[in-house]
Amino acid sequence: MTDINTITGNAASPSPARRGALQNPATVAMYAFMAVVAVLVLVGAFTTQGFLTTGNFRSILTATAFVGIMAVGSTVIMLGGSLFSVSLGMTTAVTSILFMYTLRFGLVPAVVVTLLAGTLIFTIQGAVIGSIGANPIIVTIGAGAIQEGIIGWLSPGDIVPPAGANIDFLAQPILGLPPSVYVFLAVAIVADLCMRHTRSGLEIYMLGENQPAARAAGLPVAKLTTAAFAVAGLCVAIAGILIAGFARNVNLQVQGTYTFDVIAAILVGGTAVTGGRGSVGRTVIGALIIATITDMLLLQGASTGMQILVKGLIVIVVVVLLHLARHEGRMS
Amino acid sequence: MPLAVEVRGVTKAFGPIVALDEVSFALRSGEIHALVGHNGAGKSTLVKVLAGVVSPDRGEVMVGGKPMVLRSPRQAQAAGIAVVEQELSLVPSLTVLDNILLGRVDAGAHSRGAFLDRIRGLLSQLGLSNVRLGTVVEDLSMAERQLVEIARALSRDARILILDEPTATLGEREIERVFAGVRKLVAEGRSVIFVSHRLGEVLALCSQVTVLRDGRMIASRPAAELSRDSIVKLMLGEVSEKSDVRVRDGGVREGLVVIDGLSVPGQVEDFALRANGGEIVAIAGQVGSGASEVLRALGGLIPDARGRVTIAGRPMRLGAPQRSIRGGAVFASNDRKGEGLFLHQSVARNLLATRLKAVSRGGFVSRREFTALAQRLAGLIGFDRKRLGAAAETLSGGNQQKVFLGRCIEQQAAVLLLFDEPTRGVDVGGRADIHNLVRHAASTGACIIFVSSELDEILDLADTVVTMFSGRITRIGRRREMTAAGILAEITSGTATATVA
Amino acid sequence: MSVHEASAAKRRTPVSRRVQMVMPSVLLAAMLVTFLVLPQFSNREPSIFNVYNAFQLWAAYGLVALGVGLTMIAREFDFGVLGVFAFCPMIAVKLGEYDTLLGFVVAIAVAAAVGFLQGFLVARLRLHSMPVTLGFYIALLGATITISNSQSVSFSNLDLGFALDADMFEILSWRSIIAIAVFALVFLVMRYTPLGRDIRAIGGDRRASRMVGVEVDRVLIIVFMTSAVCSALGGVLLAYSFATALSDPGLTPLKFAVTAAILGGVSLVGGIGSVVGIAIGALTLSLLQELFSILAAPTYVSSLVTGALLVLATIVAAPGLAARYKSFRSPRAGSTGAVAAPSRRLPDTSQ
Repeated sequence: MTDINTITGNAASPSPARRGALQNPATVAMYAFMAVVAVLVLVGAFTTQGFLTTGNFRSILTATAFVGIMAVGSTVIMLGGSLFSVSLGMTTAVTSILFMYTLRFGLVPAVVVTLLAGTLIFTIQGAVIGSIGANPIIVTIGAGAIQEGIIGWLSPGDIVPPAGANIDFLAQPILGLPPSVYVFLAVAIVADLCMRHTRSGLEIYMLGENQPAARAAGLPVAKLTTAAFAVAGLCVAIAGILIAGFARNVNLQVQGTYTFDVIAAILVGGTAVTGGRGSVGRTVIGALIIATITDMLLLQGASTGMQILVKGLIVIVVVVLLHLARHEGRMS
Repeated sequence: MPLAVEVRGVTKAFGPIVALDEVSFALRSGEIHALVGHNGAGKSTLVKVLAGVVSPDRGEVMVGGKPMVLRSPRQAQAAGIAVVEQELSLVPSLTVLDNILLGRVDAGAHSRGAFLDRIRGLLSQLGLSNVRLGTVVEDLSMAERQLVEIARALSRDARILILDEPTATLGEREIERVFAGVRKLVAEGRSVIFVSHRLGEVLALCSQVTVLRDGRMIASRPAAELSRDSIVKLMLGEVSEKSDVRVRDGGVREGLVVIDGLSVPGQVEDFALRANGGEIVAIAGQVGSGASEVLRALGGLIPDARGRVTIAGRPMRLGAPQRSIRGGAVFASNDRKGEGLFLHQSVARNLLATRLKAVSRGGFVSRREFTALAQRLAGLIGFDRKRLGAAAETLSGGNQQKVFLGRCIEQQAAVLLLFDEPTRGVDVGGRADIHNLVRHAASTGACIIFVSSELDEILDLADTVVTMFSGRITRIGRRREMTAAGILAEITSGTATATVA
Repeated sequence: MSVHEASAAKRRTPVSRRVQMVMPSVLLAAMLVTFLVLPQFSNREPSIFNVYNAFQLWAAYGLVALGVGLTMIAREFDFGVLGVFAFCPMIAVKLGEYDTLLGFVVAIAVAAAVGFLQGFLVARLRLHSMPVTLGFYIALLGATITISNSQSVSFSNLDLGFALDADMFEILSWRSIIAIAVFALVFLVMRYTPLGRDIRAIGGDRRASRMVGVEVDRVLIIVFMTSAVCSALGGVLLAYSFATALSDPGLTPLKFAVTAAILGGVSLVGGIGSVVGIAIGALTLSLLQELFSILAAPTYVSSLVTGALLVLATIVAAPGLAARYKSFRSPRAGSTGAVAAPSRRLPDTSQ
């Protein structure tokens, strides 16, 4: 008899029951978190001097635009299951430098060359990743170093707009908002439509969700991955042009923290890092959430460091809660 | 002789399905005891009960004469029972020694020299004296991996060893090595339960044979009293061979599919087949027979597959799924979750995954045509149209499988449909729907090749039956020439009749 | 003979893995030769001091590489190393103004806590490690910038830096000796303890590891803690050496670490790689950087070369490369002999 007792001593394995119980807390926690954020924003809105002004909303939208444009493009990469580019910021700098430099040949050539270059830089990386399954993180780190090297080789200093080139319109407000906001809106709408209504868009979703299945079904895995990177590269180039118009004086430093800001916007929006689930629309919301909270912290007098700290914490909390909500949802 | 393990009146039901029904089973010390039975007979559930993975609803398990409750693999291990699964649990990137030590609580406690000597002893006892402890498992042959897995179980002082299909992926000589190892173990007084489909091996190795069928223990007899035929009979029971054979001779297009010299290194050798449009071909074979690999190779999923394939007179290149699709062959894996469905996408998107082109204009998917085609396909596979927008993960297994296979049918270019275990994990009702689906696809002129381990399914669906054993075709025949017993004998034929062609 | 034996007959270590195993050493050897020979052409002589410098760099970033490499061996990825590499030195310096030892101890304890938290989330909740560790990186960077007020913070205990950097045996210093000791410790654990085996096992096949009773969660937490502590140690020692903690060290440590790990033979497929390999990879890269400074080459050359090396190494190690090659070699139908001439054994079922 002792045998039975020793063997069954701690035989409690009530996993199904626990799952059922956990399902609610996770979802509840998600909603609770969203509610807390909403309440904080509301309270902040009324207690922060200058938050509830049109001027401030304008500045939130303006602050969202650059990151938003690039995040929309990079969402396509993440939805397609290829994570993200760690050298996105570098390409932002490269494209804005290129734009500024080629302006001496005229505005149209400069725009065309910059868009092509940005697209090409990402496309090459996408092709390597898609065709032989190379790891996106490593490939993009490497590609970033190469870009840095090439820029360092070609251009030792700052580049300012050439004499005679008029790029003021890139930063000139239209109806009170800078052009970048309209571009952001347009890019988001086009990308969202494409992801939901084109064949390639739907196929990218499928590829990201289940790569072996996509392969077995004969979907063009390499082409789709390449295409996703091409879209992201195009968006980076668009942002690069706008940033050049905004900064007026560009060098490698304009990349700032764009790389991680973009990834943070996508993750806070709730697109799954493993691909297949999420949307461009979610990323827009993610970018706006981060911009709103950052703006509020700014108005409250918080330092840059504090803003970055809060951004990181939001990423952690959202990633954990979304994972729990999804995971438990699937279990039930 | 004392009993090493005794199982008394064990019953286990999963929902409405009774996997084990009052099963009793006795393993004597020092014997090799075969556990045979066709798919769904309850073998694997019984093994899981002994391994502590599944707790029975009723009945008791006695180990060494004492009643035991085995609620976890760890408890089973403590009771001296070790299972060597069909799916090996070795980490390929680690060395042999690391794998043997992996997961041991007491790994550091031994005096290293003595312990290593003991492991080396075990390995050479199993005929692995040429394998160094530092060899990376990846570099071993399948038989050697199997033996290392056994050595690991033995190194943990297992007195009772359960081998689940240990020879499925092995060649003849390799099988002999495993057998020699197993015989030595038994000579030392350990006991072995040998689960296998291969009756030739069962008779060659085991002293006692227990046959399960539909969750019940049918017979337990000394191997000496049994023959291959008598075991097949016990496995099948009194089934009347179906006489209402539906044969649709002379399909639509003669010689639509011609396969010749199809080989996959280490798995399939020289597979050849000629099939017509409208014909349904079944490949019957157990795990390791190469049947599944034939389909995967034709689907382009095996990069180093070689062979000549022509579909509708056009040569098709192997090695990449897109080549197969361009050539007109569509493959549906036996793993619908891992390699089939996009579980978080809607049913409609899953149905149309491979043919978005047909409903697109200039790259944009036409909402109207998309919905129309999805609804038509839903009608064909008997799926509720109102649920086309639901995520695939919310469906039952049967419906998921219908959606998965529905993706392949009614595509004009696809004339060769390859279905690997089309009804795996599907209940009876769903199964009939899927069979109708397959017949419908054939009636549109496509050729269908499917792999199944269910004899009923093969006999119900196929016009032509190909049997495979150990990587080779053993027989090709018309449905009317085949009986359940005949097929079972072919695919379980073991070493003695492996050369029958 | 059966079909299966044909493939089973070979018993040698496959060429691809042998190449992989010796690659780091070959690279290091090639690097050493280049290091000694190349400067001659531009009339520069590599001195023993250059080797010392390379080891100084190795001591800082090599430890980050060790941390990241370990997580990669366990088939995870840790962006968090960048966070602790920034945050912990800042703590060590700030608190160090009151008491150097206290600062050091707290800094390392914080790293351990961060590692534990990351490991816990990844292991227990089965979260993908990239987004979690990325969040930690961003948050820790923010914290660093906050407490430093966006300024580099200098450390008044200059003696400590001098002591740590004083050269030993000409090419080493206390700092690089400490780094070597950490490498040696981790090497011993990985090589000779069940824990090391478990780490390689969960990277190689997590399912199988769980099946045979490896406590996967515990091992993962330990891996992330080790990663964070190693990286923090590298950062703190570097800060002592410069008597300064930076408010944002940038991405350079991570780039260096990942490149070193990849050059050292660590694979992102998991389960593959060794501590010695990481050490060699980091040393190769350190020598490369030092070579550029001997040659007075502009920084872009170093970026170009390391970037190209990284991309090349990744392409060579990519899982899909072999499959591509095999499928590319698949004979074009019809090119080998008659198309579909039915073989002798083919029963003609149409008659």
